[in-house]
Amino acid sequence: MPTLTIDNQTVIVAEGGSVLDAAIALGIVVPHYCYHPALGAVGACRQCAVTILEGSQKGLKMACLIPAEDDMQVSTCEEEAVAFRAQVGEWLMTNHPHDCPVCDEGGECQLQEMTIGAGHGIRRYRGNKRTYLNQDLGPFVAQEMNRCIQCYRCVRTYKDYCGGEDFGVMGSQQRVFFGRFKDGPLESDFSGNLIDFCPTGVFTDRTNRFRTRSWDLQQAPSICPHCSLGCSILPGGRYQELQRVRAGGNRLTNDSFICDRARFGSDWNNHPKRPREARISGEKVEFPYALELLEERLEKLVEEYGGETLRLLGSPRASFEANLLLKKLAEKYGAPAPYYDAHPRRAFAARMAASIPSGQLASLKQLRESDLILLVGVDPLAEAPVLALALRQAARAGARIVALDPRPLELPCDFEHHPLTQESLLRGLSAPEENELLESLRQQLETSQRPVLVGGGELLGGEGLRLLLHFSESCCGSHDCLIFPVLHGPNSFGGGILGATGDSNRNLIEDLENGNVRALICVETDPAIEHSEPGRMQLALSRLELLAVFDHLPTNTVATADIFLPTRTIYECAGTFINNEGRMQAFDPVLEPGIPIVVTGSGGHPPRQFETTPPGSAPRSAVHLLQWLLKDRNDLFGLRRQIIKELPCLRDLDRLAAGDNGRRIADCGDTLEESRTEIWAQEGELQVLPITARYGSDLYSRWSQSLTSRFEEPSVWIHPVEAAERGFVNGQKVVLRTVVGHFHLPLVFKAKMARGRLIVPCLPGTPLEVFTPGGLSLPCKIYSEVDNA
Amino acid sequence: MKKLLLKKEIDAFRKKAQKLEHPREMVIDLLRAIQDHFGWVPDAGVELAADILGVPPIEVEEVATFYDKIYRQKVGRYPIHICDSICCWIRGGEEIAAHLQQQLGIKLGQTTSDGLFTLLPTCCLGGCGRAPSIMVGKRFYGHLTCDGLDQIIAQLREEAVG
Amino acid sequence: MSSTPQLLFKNRIPGKTAFLKEYCKTGGYSALVKALKTMSPAEIVQLVKSSGLRGRGGAGFSTGLKWSFFPSDKPAPKYLVCNCDEMEPGTYKDGELLAADPHQLVEGMVLSAYALNVDEGYIFIRYAYEGQFKNLQKAVAEAKKAGYLGKNILGSGFDFELHLHGSAGRYILGEETALLNGLEGKRPNPRIKPPFPAERGLFGRPTTVNNVETLANIPHIINGGSEWFKGLARNPEGAGTKLFGLSGHLNVTECFELPVGIPLSEIVEVYGGGVWKSRKFKACLPGGASTPYLTAEHMDIPLDFDTLAAVGSRFGTAGVTVFDDKTCMVAVTLNLLQFFARESCGWCTPCRDGLPLVCWLLEKIEKGQGTMGDLEMLKEQYRHIGGRSFCALAEGAMGPLDGLMRLFEQEVIDHIEKGHCPF
Ligand SMILES: Cc1cc2nc3c(=O)[nH]c(=O)nc-3n(C[C@H](O)[C@H](O)[C@H](O)COP(=O)(O)O)c2cc1C
Ligand code: SF4
Ligand code: FES
Repeated sequence: MPTLTIDNQTVIVAEGGSVLDAAIALGIVVPHYCYHPALGAVGACRQCAVTILEGSQKGLKMACLIPAEDDMQVSTCEEEAVAFRAQVGEWLMTNHPHDCPVCDEGGECQLQEMTIGAGHGIRRYRGNKRTYLNQDLGPFVAQEMNRCIQCYRCVRTYKDYCGGEDFGVMGSQQRVFFGRFKDGPLESDFSGNLIDFCPTGVFTDRTNRFRTRSWDLQQAPSICPHCSLGCSILPGGRYQELQRVRAGGNRLTNDSFICDRARFGSDWNNHPKRPREARISGEKVEFPYALELLEERLEKLVEEYGGETLRLLGSPRASFEANLLLKKLAEKYGAPAPYYDAHPRRAFAARMAASIPSGQLASLKQLRESDLILLVGVDPLAEAPVLALALRQAARAGARIVALDPRPLELPCDFEHHPLTQESLLRGLSAPEENELLESLRQQLETSQRPVLVGGGELLGGEGLRLLLHFSESCCGSHDCLIFPVLHGPNSFGGGILGATGDSNRNLIEDLENGNVRALICVETDPAIEHSEPGRMQLALSRLELLAVFDHLPTNTVATADIFLPTRTIYECAGTFINNEGRMQAFDPVLEPGIPIVVTGSGGHPPRQFETTPPGSAPRSAVHLLQWLLKDRNDLFGLRRQIIKELPCLRDLDRLAAGDNGRRIADCGDTLEESRTEIWAQEGELQVLPITARYGSDLYSRWSQSLTSRFEEPSVWIHPVEAAERGFVNGQKVVLRTVVGHFHLPLVFKAKMARGRLIVPCLPGTPLEVFTPGGLSLPCKIYSEVDNA
Repeated sequence: MKKLLLKKEIDAFRKKAQKLEHPREMVIDLLRAIQDHFGWVPDAGVELAADILGVPPIEVEEVATFYDKIYRQKVGRYPIHICDSICCWIRGGEEIAAHLQQQLGIKLGQTTSDGLFTLLPTCCLGGCGRAPSIMVGKRFYGHLTCDGLDQIIAQLREEAVG
Repeated sequence: MSSTPQLLFKNRIPGKTAFLKEYCKTGGYSALVKALKTMSPAEIVQLVKSSGLRGRGGAGFSTGLKWSFFPSDKPAPKYLVCNCDEMEPGTYKDGELLAADPHQLVEGMVLSAYALNVDEGYIFIRYAYEGQFKNLQKAVAEAKKAGYLGKNILGSGFDFELHLHGSAGRYILGEETALLNGLEGKRPNPRIKPPFPAERGLFGRPTTVNNVETLANIPHIINGGSEWFKGLARNPEGAGTKLFGLSGHLNVTECFELPVGIPLSEIVEVYGGGVWKSRKFKACLPGGASTPYLTAEHMDIPLDFDTLAAVGSRFGTAGVTVFDDKTCMVAVTLNLLQFFARESCGWCTPCRDGLPLVCWLLEKIEKGQGTMGDLEMLKEQYRHIGGRSFCALAEGAMGPLDGLMRLFEQEVIDHIEKGHCPF
């Protein structure tokens, strides 16, 4: 670790760090554009000049390209370097338009900051400026090429880092152009990162143009709610409207990148149908009244029929604190411990993941640094997009990636794919020594330096994850083979921790059907969509005497609730999520709840209503509601302290701050839950596997209007050989018959999927929404539409 | 309609692409072949090259737009590159350029309405000893005078008819 | 005039190309036979080193020394790349050589490949050299057929494959790392160094890039020996002959093979036939567009790398472009800088945005609209661009600007004071 001196201040940097890294660590401003910690140095912009006074290379040098050395003496103040930096500023500005006052980047423009930092103020050039025609890059990213300073960060982000294949740099000299071959929407699932990485206003968020100047935004560090990875985000909004999401920085998880689902899928928060008032049997009522009524009815019910007849359902969407309070509520009323996922198989997977010793769990950072990654039953782009980015970084550094999965996987990097069915995967894992492929992989894992096994909870279930853990233990003689479980939601892992003590053999749906349950409280979950058998669940719910729902999404269950209480979203309250690797991460509120002023003011001037509270501001956080029922007066900090006392493995919970890197849970010391028997269907007959679609399968993207352009058309996928055996052609209309219904769908050939299976992506707002991913494949029949008639 | 490339040439390129360890090294060969055959490289040409090489079109476009002798816009049958670098320029290159513009009635960068000639300024053609010089397609002409130019144009016009 | 021994131009007959038959008639491929039979690769590297041969591509680095850094013991594939991009204004010697006698390059490459234990080679040829490309195609085919190229050359067990690559324009491809990107089919931006091509070059493998003329000299050095080669030069420090491409305001603008160390006066008066139109010599570019000007006071300096460096210029490629006394040096410099600005690859800021700014200033001054402030700014540009660009292209562009400031500052001031171009 070299120790060097910059402007008479001494600093130690990591091995391989540059002089620029050292300056940044000291807080010394050396303006730079092409260098970015996540992208590395290429020495193109020439803005970062400093003077090396002592060192193996002396004189004026680019700080990003010079490795820090021991005893190096660096100055950023030598006249020559200062003058040169100002000159580079002038060069870069010769063609830059004078549009700062109206530029969408204004207020958060690195170019502005660094030009001033470089000491350039007055442009002497009076000639013409080069201008460009812009491209239409689709609904997410707007382009304004005249503002480009040719730092090449965009291509390096989109193409090199994210693996996008439809964006590049064209032309040469002073006329290089960054864009697509032809106009059209950017294809990468990570296209929005262009917005964060462009240091000026070339690429801006189209979904948020012309709405707010950046300095007027309310922002707070938060955690992405779309999947289980827990990427850091920085949402911003104004006038009660959540307007945009940028990537936060956490080098242990997402580094500086997020997926488009996270970035452009936040407007569910402002959904026009979002329920914002308390309701009793569908009628709007005052908030306190509904809450008091709920308490009254619960007490009566418990008194009359006993706590046994009350059930509580938490969720991976709800904060850890809310889920914990739910458990307390169960205790208070003598009800059985809550469920933490309406989908029993997902819940089991989460419990299994939570029981993996924390030292055996990998972070995304460790994944990026791995040399051999085995993906088992996981489709990163659909279930955990930023995982795909991490895989790409590992592959770029030379790692091998091997995937075992029935789906026709795509990844932004080279990988080996073995399309095994879900059943053969599970069977293989249960006896890996008898499986040639797994046995050879085991040997390779053993000889690699930093292997990681990635397991998909949806496909493998808890049982599969347990088998995977055993498999990993059999691979690590001298070193660890880490596990990276992929779960369903942002707090699935937290639910797994809380659920571990519950009785795993209870079955909500059967209890509902048997009439053993009279009341159910659902916190931020919609069992009617999320349970593996939605139709059956819906019917079961209708038998309840009391269905109480706390939520913020306009779900059907909300509409049918006897008592409904609107909750705040993660953008409107503080809390904690525990991600798939057991990292506790805090989020802070960005906005107060309320109907956006664009709605109440019909797009014009804010309405002149004279009320003490803004319209739509009734929602309380789920934590608040539960605390009210529990008569618990702790603030969030007090609550966390209380949690630590009960769950020592969360001992760092009270040291979290939103925007930090989060903290891993300590080993909970739980023993692995004994597996229950899964019915592994027989091979051979045709079965259909419902899978997570890239957009729309998680409840938040389902209600994000900005994302609808990305939703796929419903279809059923088949292996071409399988189709040929049955005389089907690609694109043909077929009828798919299953226990959940009959569907008329086009048949799409996918050469890279498993044989013997059909696959349907579960898509909201289409007939296919009755399928829920996360289960086993279902028996089915398929006919051509003509035959069927 | 004129084809981008003959089928047998396409097949040959495809075959070679399969054999090569780094098929991308053929990208300039491919673009040049398409240009020789089609006269210039339209979008479809970039897409064809990308398909043969097994890369997305942008990868080809990034390269195609870098080189000035790959025409990514339609040019006349005889693209005339007029050298404007030092050796030609100090020996009358500007007069040559002015004369051509006047004779053909077009400006630099434009194409004659009969589709025969496009005037393109270019850097040094490697004919510094024979300045001033131009290159028509890949044919080099040096030691030019205005009269000589008129003859060349007339010849090319004849060639085009014949 | 005829006193200079002709090695590279020995078979040159204007308008004709020497192919295998003619080439062999005057001793062609005898060096290859000799080397494969009697010399070890290390001996060849040593011989080239002691011959004093310096790179003919412009930088003038000792060829033998460069080769001695090559990791010839690394496993195949390794590459030898011949740089025939030759797009610097004023430079056309490689084109002349390949128009006259392409087999020299082929033989030179096989010998060099043998010396470096390289198994594959590329010749990178500029777009405008269509004729030379065809010559090389024929020469390669002939050499293959005759057993001078390909597998088991002349029964020695040494294999060498040679490929031709036609480019599609742009000066930056002459920069060796940009050239490698170009060969790979990537955007031809220069690469960051280190790693140097010898370590990681074409397709990530050890690679040496050499100029056409450099490589064509190898057979002659093998045949004649290092002392003989050294002795060819006029000056004691020099070595060998050099192809001088004459251009500009001379009566004769042709390419000659002349001894290294020949003085400028002889080039201008004897070979160039004097300045045209009976005018006076004002200045010249001694070695291509990137070399600072020489003036009449430099007439007697031996033209060689170190001697020209000592007077603030460079030998470069020995493409001598002469300007008569009616020439405006501001306009000349503007023309040269426009070339460099247009040929910038667009990667780094000083080159992409700095050179156009220089052009804007020069144009203003040339039109008589400049101020003394502009002159100051021009000097600043020179100070800031020089040595600070990503590759040597922008650095080269500073050659003429340096010459203008150093030697013709008064001419610049005249433009400014008179308010118009005095020529
Ligand atoms: C902008 C630029 C253009 C160049 N063009 C050429 C060229 O056309 N031919 C050439 O041989 N070397 C050229 N060079 C030099 C090469 O980079 C390289 O040094 C040379 O090919 C090495 O060969 P040599 O050692 O035999 O001279 C150029 C360098 C730069 C920076
Ligand atoms: S588009 Fe933006 S990121 Fe890309 S080079 Fe231009 S300024 Fe940089
Ligand atoms: S940050 Fe160092 S050159 Fe761009």
